[in-house]
Amino acid sequence: MVGIRLVSTLCIISLIMLAGCNDQKKEKEVTPTLSWYVFNEPSGAFAIAARNCSENSQNTYQIKLVPLPADPDRQREQLVRRLAAGDQSIDIIGMDVIWTAEFAQAGWILPWRSETMEEAKANRLAAPLQSVMYQDEMWGVPYTTNAQLLWYRTDRIREAPTTWQKMIRLAETLGKSGTIQAQGERYEGLTVFFISLLATAGGSVLDTRNEKIALAQEPTIHALSTMAHFANSPVADRTLSTAREDQARLAFETGNSSFMINYTFVWSSIQQNAPEIAPHIGWARWPSLSKDKPGRTAIGGINLAVSAHSRHARLAFEAAACIASERHQRIAATLGGLPPTIAALYDDAEIREALPFADVLRATLRDAVQRPQTPLYNDVSLAISRTLHPMRDIEPDKDYIRLRDAISRALSSKGLL
Amino acid sequence: MLRGNERRKQRRDEQYQAWLLCAPAVLVLILVTAYPILYAIWLSFFRYDLRFPDQRIFVGLDNYLSILTSEVWWQAMSNTLILTISSVALELILAFPLALIMYHTIFWRHAVRAATLLPYVITTVVAAFAWKFAFDPTTGFINALLGMEQAWLTQRWSSFLVIILTEIWKTTPFMALMLLAGLTLVPNELIQAARVDGANAWQRFIKITVPMMKPAILVAVLFRTLDAFRIFDTVFVLTSGAQDTETVSMIGYNTLIVSLNLGLGSAVSVLIFISIVVISVLFVKGFNITLSKRESGDQK
Amino acid sequence: MKKGLLESVFWAMSNVLVIAYAAIPMLWILSLSLKRGSDLNDQYFFPQTISLEHYRNVFSDTQFSSAILNSIGIASIATLFSVFLGMFAAYAIVRLEFPGRRLMLAGILTTAMFPPIAIIGPLFDMWRITGLYDTWLGLILPYMTFTLPLAIWILAAFFREIPWDLDKAARIDGATTLQSFIRVMVPLAAPGVFTAAILVFIFAWNDFLFAISLTSTDNARTVPAAIAFFTGSSRFELPIGSIAAASVVVTVPVMIVVLIFQQRIVAGLTSGAIKG
Repeated sequence: MVGIRLVSTLCIISLIMLAGCNDQKKEKEVTPTLSWYVFNEPSGAFAIAARNCSENSQNTYQIKLVPLPADPDRQREQLVRRLAAGDQSIDIIGMDVIWTAEFAQAGWILPWRSETMEEAKANRLAAPLQSVMYQDEMWGVPYTTNAQLLWYRTDRIREAPTTWQKMIRLAETLGKSGTIQAQGERYEGLTVFFISLLATAGGSVLDTRNEKIALAQEPTIHALSTMAHFANSPVADRTLSTAREDQARLAFETGNSSFMINYTFVWSSIQQNAPEIAPHIGWARWPSLSKDKPGRTAIGGINLAVSAHSRHARLAFEAAACIASERHQRIAATLGGLPPTIAALYDDAEIREALPFADVLRATLRDAVQRPQTPLYNDVSLAISRTLHPMRDIEPDKDYIRLRDAISRALSSKGLL
Repeated sequence: MLRGNERRKQRRDEQYQAWLLCAPAVLVLILVTAYPILYAIWLSFFRYDLRFPDQRIFVGLDNYLSILTSEVWWQAMSNTLILTISSVALELILAFPLALIMYHTIFWRHAVRAATLLPYVITTVVAAFAWKFAFDPTTGFINALLGMEQAWLTQRWSSFLVIILTEIWKTTPFMALMLLAGLTLVPNELIQAARVDGANAWQRFIKITVPMMKPAILVAVLFRTLDAFRIFDTVFVLTSGAQDTETVSMIGYNTLIVSLNLGLGSAVSVLIFISIVVISVLFVKGFNITLSKRESGDQK
Repeated sequence: MKKGLLESVFWAMSNVLVIAYAAIPMLWILSLSLKRGSDLNDQYFFPQTISLEHYRNVFSDTQFSSAILNSIGIASIATLFSVFLGMFAAYAIVRLEFPGRRLMLAGILTTAMFPPIAIIGPLFDMWRITGLYDTWLGLILPYMTFTLPLAIWILAAFFREIPWDLDKAARIDGATTLQSFIRVMVPLAAPGVFTAAILVFIFAWNDFLFAISLTSTDNARTVPAAIAFFTGSSRFELPIGSIAAASVVVTVPVMIVVLIFQQRIVAGLTSGAIKG
């Protein structure tokens, strides 16, 4: 029958196609290639690390950089989908500190054990090291870290304000140029803002075991009312509700603002884009809420993890350790302005020249707070940013209840988000 | 007797061949639509989250309950309805003049038709980026043109405006083509007769053209409504759901593909599917459209 | 029927309006793609200095060139299969009486209305288990399925126009149904097949939801998905110039097809009446 013949031809064609697809994957590999998925780093520091480590390995492996989208949420989206599909082409993952628990729980990454673990742990700062831990195992090697500082104009303010109240009051006296830049868009940055304020007020989102909701009433209300107060004060930027890190930086670089809450990447950017204001930039720790306790902020940065589906896991551990070694942390810091996770580097002259705020950053990291280390962090974070956006509409008492509700839903894995 | 037998045999042969011819198409339809939707219904009764691969448990209607009590879902539903209704309504209004223009065009008939087809066949993602950049306060020309300083995609109402505009721009041509097809069915003699009777252009349009075109209009509106209800690409590119512009399809995508929560996400899918069925039934019952009538009418 | 000069002028003016309506956004993205990187924010509609730097960037990006190959390959194969299967089914529906014919029609209509989001989750799960995730076949299958109703519908409409008698004559000459189908119908149906193929191709070429959900690498990522996920040069910057250039590149083939075959497309759409 012609029909049957045609149908079987179709089947054969599709089989050939399938086979063809498989063929493409099976490239003859002399040296195993390790794919390192990480965000696109413009200074080239990651590329240098990949090249150095490949060369040092004496042909035991070759590291290939695979750039991920710019936006961290999109990075996660891409990775997670691929990991869930059991993609074998991922070897090393540039893992944001907030993904550890999720990736580990799902069985997508391998734990670091015995000698590789000891090497990866050596001389690391406590806070970045804490960010790779989940259920008493270590799931990555800390590579670069990050934390927000308060940036301000030394030509307008003599001394950095220590609390939010003081800063807002001071900004108001400066009039139009007093604007405070921060992140108020509905995304991870808003969650960071809230978690930092909450930690500063003495509260936390989850209990110490990261299982149940904590969110004590008094500190939460304190944090929420500070957010509402700030967002509704004349010193908040008009576009606060859509501002991310980069919008805040751009606005600050125009010179019309006097304060900015932001990560350390702004330092090199201001040197380049706004040389006229660069000499007048000061930095201080994240503002506090009371005189006796310092401000605390959430730690950022990326760790390197090894995919559970990697065909060369042993080599991937080796390569990750090499990328995160002191030598390459130095390159990442001097070239890309990415703060190191090795404690000793903060006393290194070269690094201190590239990151003149090293001491303040180290102190910030000492008190830094971890974002909830739960596999459901993504849902928890969405629950927070959605409930609290826009900041100007926060009503502390009402939103405290909404927030509790949203986070509880997220934790029971049914938060429809 | 013999002839009857032969005819019966022939008929059986014909049936067999017909099934054979349809089999590949049916097989594919079953494999890629029927089976997955059944699988989705099945999954929707489970807690099945790829981030917790070992914890797949039956939860009954829990997922549905959780969705139907969520403010996020209802917000998305009302956003979707706002987008659907306003874009389809505006498209219908704009499609009439467009169809009339195409109908009456004497010069450049081809150019005009090709031009109207362009927005329709262009990749939605590309169209959305074109409008996104046009409305962008730093890159775009719209603010310069209007002498405004509006950050369009940072507020809810203006984001909706841009999304609806993009949708309208993209799909009005489709609507117009459908109307044009209906328009060509209106007998010219009727119009001429009315003209002789002294009816003006507007009267002729309302009294004769529109009623004659009713079936074409309804089919066009039904297709566009179903299509607009699943809006995803435009919103994804323009706002990614920020400023409360999330649609039900985005909720589905976020739950399924971003969160990998397949159980809950499947429940969202099933609810979207049910909504589509409800809309179709409402249309078919409410306006008395019989889609298959066109079929059977043609078969003779 | 004579038309006054005024009326002619009126319709001519409205023609210009229609063409402007369709062309402006396209011209805008074209002119963005031709602006120099430093001129992107000048807010002019037309580029002040023409530069091809964004095109050079886009084509030197391996992600984009493999996306183009994927798009062409996936869309073509899906079109081929869809039209092939659609042809058989449409023939059976138009020409043959068989029980289940109505069910078949109903099934096709339902699929045409089907929201793709409703099956994206199960497909993702099925594909990840069977290894079809992030492969050409993993996209070809859904594209083929979702375009089948369109193909069947258009082809059925065309088949109905074909004179019955030829088919009958062929059969009296002793040809079986399938033989008559191949010898007589296929040549006559060629224009319909062609129309269906164009529309199916456009659907597959433009799809976004399946493309972003079922692919993740250069292996099978198509152009619309690649454009949406372009990695900018810095962590925070949206690569506007590259997006614009890539958009122009994907739009040009579609545009050419439309300009050449617009009559067929219109005929197909109005008989098919389904949005791609």
